Amino acid sequence: MEEGYRILEHPADVGIEAFGNTLKDAFEYAALGLTSIIVEPASVDPSEQRFVSLKGTDPENLLVRWLSEIIYLYDGEDFLLSDVNISRLAHGELEATLAGEKMNESKHKLKMDVKAITYHQLMVEEEPEGVLLRVFLDI
Amino acid sequence: MSVLQKLDEYRYLIPKSFREGMKIEGLIYASSELIDAIEHDLTLTQVANVATLTGLVGRSLAMPDAHQGYGFAIGGVAAADMAKGIVSAGGVGFDINCGVRLLRSDLRLNEVRPKIDSVLNQMFRDIPCGTGKKGVVGALSYEELDRVLELGAHWAVEKGYGIDADLRHMEETGRMPNADPGKVSRRAKERGKDQLGTLGSGNHFAEVQYVSEIFDSEVAGAFGLFAEQIVVLIHTGSRGLGHQVCTDYLEIMQEGMRKYGIQVVDRQLACVPIQSPEGQSYLKAMASAANFAFANRQMITHWTREAFATVLGNGDLPVVYDVCHNIAKEETHRVSGSSRKLLVHRKGATRAFPKHRPEIPADYMEVGQPVLIPGSMGTCSYVLVGTERAMEETFGSSCHGAGRAKSRHAAKKEITAEKLIEDLKHKGIHVRGASKSGLTEENPDAYKDVSLVVEVVHNAGIARKVAKLVPIGVIKG
Repeated sequence: MEEGYRILEHPADVGIEAFGNTLKDAFEYAALGLTSIIVEPASVDPSEQRFVSLKGTDPENLLVRWLSEIIYLYDGEDFLLSDVNISRLAHGELEATLAGEKMNESKHKLKMDVKAITYHQLMVEEEPEGVLLRVFLDI
Repeated sequence: MSVLQKLDEYRYLIPKSFREGMKIEGLIYASSELIDAIEHDLTLTQVANVATLTGLVGRSLAMPDAHQGYGFAIGGVAAADMAKGIVSAGGVGFDINCGVRLLRSDLRLNEVRPKIDSVLNQMFRDIPCGTGKKGVVGALSYEELDRVLELGAHWAVEKGYGIDADLRHMEETGRMPNADPGKVSRRAKERGKDQLGTLGSGNHFAEVQYVSEIFDSEVAGAFGLFAEQIVVLIHTGSRGLGHQVCTDYLEIMQEGMRKYGIQVVDRQLACVPIQSPEGQSYLKAMASAANFAFANRQMITHWTREAFATVLGNGDLPVVYDVCHNIAKEETHRVSGSSRKLLVHRKGATRAFPKHRPEIPADYMEVGQPVLIPGSMGTCSYVLVGTERAMEETFGSSCHGAGRAKSRHAAKKEITAEKLIEDLKHKGIHVRGASKSGLTEENPDAYKDVSLVVEVVHNAGIARKVAKLVPIGVIKG
C-alpha cells in the first residue's frame, strides 16, 4: 500500500483512510486528509504555527482526539492547516507542530464543515509493513 | 432469509436472538418498499446494539426514515429508566437539537410566487449560511453566550428577535429549564460564540413553501393552516457549539464507563448512569446546546420576517411549532400499565404527543402536537399530528424526515449544480445556495421519498397526516 490518504464514502458521512510507514506518518496523513475535506489544501499557506500536545487512552482514542483538535482549531479558532509535523507519538502522547493560517473567506476555498470525529468503525491497524487508519466523520 | 419478524404491514421485530447481549427487542417501522434499504446498511445492527444498553425499557425503535448512523441509527428512539438507566451522548448525536420550525403567513401562493426571487435574494442576504459563515451579530461575550445557553429562544425574544407569542409554540417553550452553561466547555463556547444566527451547511435550509394539500381540516385549522397558504420551514441546529458538547462528553463518558464498569459493543454508544455526576453534567450541557439551537432558529425567524416585510410588505409570520430532532428528554410514560419516569433519546426522531398532554401548547390541547417532517430539497414536507398510539408504542415519537439513501459523493456525481437549479426551476422551485457542491450533495435523488416515510407513520398510527407542503423557494447553506 502506498503512503497517503484517501477519502471514503458512506451514505450519511465521509471517512478517511490513511496509510503510513509508521503510526506517526499515518496520523499526519489522516490530518491532511481531514483538512482536504474542509478546504482546498493548495489555497492555505503555512504562515503561522500552532503547537499541539495531547493524551489518549489508546491509539484509537488518541486518533479521535488528534483529529478533533484540528476541527476545533478550524471551527473555534479559524485556523486552517496546510502542513503538519508530529514530533512525538508514543505511550498515548502526541506532540505536533501545525503550520497554516487564519481563515480568510476571500482567499480560502472552503469545501465543507465537519461537525465531529466519530468512533464508528474506527480502526488503527499496526502491521509490519505499515500502519492503516480508518475514521469516519460526521458532516 | 431475513432475521426480521414481520409483525404486520408496517412493523418488523428484531428478536433478542439477533445478537448476544440484547436486553430488549428491536422494532422497525417500515413498509415493504423501505425495509430493503434499511436491511441493506448497518441500521439493524445498530438498533440491536442499542438494545444491549443498560436500563432501557420497551423496545429499541427505528422509524421508517432510519439509516445507518454512528452508534445509534439515525431515526432511532430509546427510552431509559430515569433511576436505573443510562444516558448516551451518541444517542442524541453531534447536532444537539437539530430541529425544524414552521412559520405560517396569511399570504397565498399567487401573491408570493411572482416575487419569490426577490424574497429569496433578501433572505439569502440577511441569513448567514454556508461553510465557515459567521453570524451578523458578531462574537458574543462569554457572559452573553451563557445567557443564550440558559434562556434559549427567550434570550432572542428579549433582544428583539421576535415576540412572546412565538415562545408558546415551541417544544419546551424554546428553553430547556435544566441548562447549566458551566457544564459547557470553553472550547464549545469558542466554536459557538460567533455562530449564533447562522443556518450552517449540509442538509440545513430555509424553504418558502405553500400548503398543497390538507388531509385533516379540523387539525389544520387549529394549527392555522389552509390550502394555498404560504409558509416557511427552517431546519438548523446548535452549530459548532453542540458538536463540541457531544465530542467533549463522548470522552467524559468513556472515562465514566471505566469508573462505573460499563462495557458497550460500539464505542460511539459510550454512556453513563443518568444519575451519575457525569450523566447529570451531560444533560445540563445538552440542554444548554439545545437552547442555543432554539435561539438560533428564533433569530433566523426574525430575519425571515424582515425579508417578507421588505419585499412583500407583510412580515407577519407566526410560529406554528418548533420541534427537536436530536435530543434526550425526561418524560413520563405508561409502560406495561404503570407510569414511569424515562429519559427518551430521540436520534433523528420527532416527539409526537397527542392531545391533552401537558407539554403541548394550550391552543393545540384539543388536537395534539404538530409534528414537522421536512423532505429533501425541492420535494415536499409534511405537517402531522401526534397520536395516542405513539404514546403506547414509541414513547410519543415519530419520524424526522426523508433519510439519506446515497452518499454525498454519489449524489454530487449524478448532477451538476447548474442542471439541478434548472431542473428545480422547471418544477417551480427557486434556489439560492452558498456553494455549488453543497447543493448537489443535497440532490433530492440522494434521499428516500419522504412521502413513503410519512405513509408508514400515518398507516402505523404513530402520527397522522395533516397537511402537505411544497416548496417554491429554497435557501441552502
